[in-house]
Amino acid sequence: MTASDISDKHRFLAQGNVYLPHIMIIEKIIEETPGVKTFHFNFKDEQIRDEFTFESGQFGEYSVFGVGEAPFCISSSPTRGDHLEFTLQRVGKVTNALHRLGVGAEIGFRGPYGNSFPIDLLQGKNLIFVGGGIGLAPLRSLIWNVLDNRDKYGDVQIIYGARSPADLCFRYDLDAWGDDKTVDVITTVDRQESRVQSPVSRVEAGNSRLQSQESRVGAGDSRLQTADSRLLREGFVPQVLEQVAPSAENAMAIVCGPPIMIRFTFPVLGKLGFTPEQMITTLEKRMKCGIGKCGRCNIGDIYVCRDGPVFTYAQIKRFISSEH
Amino acid sequence: MGIKKIAKKDIGNLLHQWGKDYTILVPSTEGDTALTVHGSRFTVHGLWDGSDVNLDWHRNTVKPPKSNFLPPMEEMFRFQKGKEGHSIELPQEERRQLIFGIRPCDARSLRLLDMIFTDVYQDPYYLPKRNSAVLVGLVCLRPYDSCFCTSLGISPGGSDDVDLLLTDIGDEFLIEEISDKGKRLMELTAGLEDATEDDITKASEAKEKAYGKVTRKIDTQHLKDKLLSSFEDETYWEKVAAKCIGCGICTFLCPTCYCFDITDEKVKKQGARFRCWDSCAFSLYTKMPMENPREEKWQRVRQKVCHKFEFYPMSFDVIACTGCGRCIRLCPVNWDICQTLEGIRDRGGDHQ
Repeated sequence: MTASDISDKHRFLAQGNVYLPHIMIIEKIIEETPGVKTFHFNFKDEQIRDEFTFESGQFGEYSVFGVGEAPFCISSSPTRGDHLEFTLQRVGKVTNALHRLGVGAEIGFRGPYGNSFPIDLLQGKNLIFVGGGIGLAPLRSLIWNVLDNRDKYGDVQIIYGARSPADLCFRYDLDAWGDDKTVDVITTVDRQESRVQSPVSRVEAGNSRLQSQESRVGAGDSRLQTADSRLLREGFVPQVLEQVAPSAENAMAIVCGPPIMIRFTFPVLGKLGFTPEQMITTLEKRMKCGIGKCGRCNIGDIYVCRDGPVFTYAQIKRFISSEH
Repeated sequence: MGIKKIAKKDIGNLLHQWGKDYTILVPSTEGDTALTVHGSRFTVHGLWDGSDVNLDWHRNTVKPPKSNFLPPMEEMFRFQKGKEGHSIELPQEERRQLIFGIRPCDARSLRLLDMIFTDVYQDPYYLPKRNSAVLVGLVCLRPYDSCFCTSLGISPGGSDDVDLLLTDIGDEFLIEEISDKGKRLMELTAGLEDATEDDITKASEAKEKAYGKVTRKIDTQHLKDKLLSSFEDETYWEKVAAKCIGCGICTFLCPTCYCFDITDEKVKKQGARFRCWDSCAFSLYTKMPMENPREEKWQRVRQKVCHKFEFYPMSFDVIACTGCGRCIRLCPVNWDICQTLEGIRDRGGDHQ
């Protein structure tokens, strides 16, 4: 690590203390699925708001004061918008507290931490994004980043799956990417039946578009609709990937999803001719400090917060079977 | 380098003198519990009259000195919600510490902790305490049977990791300056006598003898690579972990274990964020809502061993163990790290 890297890492410290959070204001909340929300948020301190920069793939530590801190990636793209976004599933103490907050509430944020997607390595390549469930959040930051610099990349294919139609996140993005003629979007669900009363027929008939973000929120059953010409497939992500069979030539696959999906996706990519160096993923661990000190996020000698969260399969291969 | 000495009966005066500028921490015996032996831990002595410390102590403390730099529970900041939103207040800086009687192994442990707390990001809680502290070391004349510091490049008879070094030479302690910080402290210290040739010879003999008293050895050659090739050997790790009860004592009392949790407490509109010791011996340590990468006990035992002897060497090129032996002699079920490492060493010929 060079001195400039280090000073770079220290750019956005509150009061020079790496553990002190910045106070952030929630500006908008989007309910992605019944258990997943995306928060648009911004620095309360306007100077930092102007100076803050990050890269796709980096994460932060978010806190509800009095409840605790938890790590999430920044799900928005550095190429877009005057605010930041993060997306989280309601699963534990901190995420439950975050889900209860409304627009205008204050949260704590430290970051950005970790490495980022290797943009230099991805440019000029055909990109295959493989996402599952809320794992689309970090990919989404990169996808928008790529699409905002479209001429620097080759073909872009997105294979995204969720458990059921109701569990598909970022429908407004899937919709927008589907509309983009330079992007091939394949959406799949493990099963068509949804936990919510599912309009399976409508999904199969594909007779209506994914609804726009505004009308979708709170629209109940009617949001279980998919794009017109884009068939919602049925099947697990690795299976669909195998059927779609993207070429490994001059390609990079970027994978993020639940550990079980990642575990089954790498072998499929291998079968399709992708080398471990051509497979990229971003990992999630219980990163308490985010800065390589608290000790718990390691896979072997690799600390996900310090050395990742973005890795090539080649880097984590020897440990992945037993600890991820 | 000036070599001085001080009579044991005058140690109280010496600490009084230093106590004007430092919080003095001395090994002390407290209470009468099963875990209490000579010098159970380093305690604060503001006004110390010398009566509650046995100056004949020769054995290391039960608790290592890490808690004076990384407290078991430490307030990181306070927060308050007012009309203008949240405000954050940092704790006040503490008085600098002088650790009196720290052993060579424990002094080394702080050097090992420095690596993690200066890695990329400077830790704003550990480092100020560490940088302002003075370490007055003590040659370790009576190591335990469980001690194996000499296998890890540490000598009970000397240390470069302290500022001053004391050697028990009978009715007196020999005092040597080791660092510049130690030298400056010595210059400001009154009441020390110059050591005689005879004193210095006595101390050298004692140091040499101390080295020979550490009989337990481990072989660290190729250990990192052997651990790497044994990483997936579930059968071996299950065997190693079989008797572990997962109490975490070995990690809490390990001078180089530093893992922590960050947690909030709040009453109405104000509260604080704390950093608390945590342990890889507990399954909750790595638990995430949907999965746990170290659900099984053998995975956690493997983590503890590999962290010190494989991962730390890969990150910092040094083994994160000082051979202090606490995890062996204080384990309630007699788990023995040396046996585990011996088992690894005898396995596979890949790196012979």
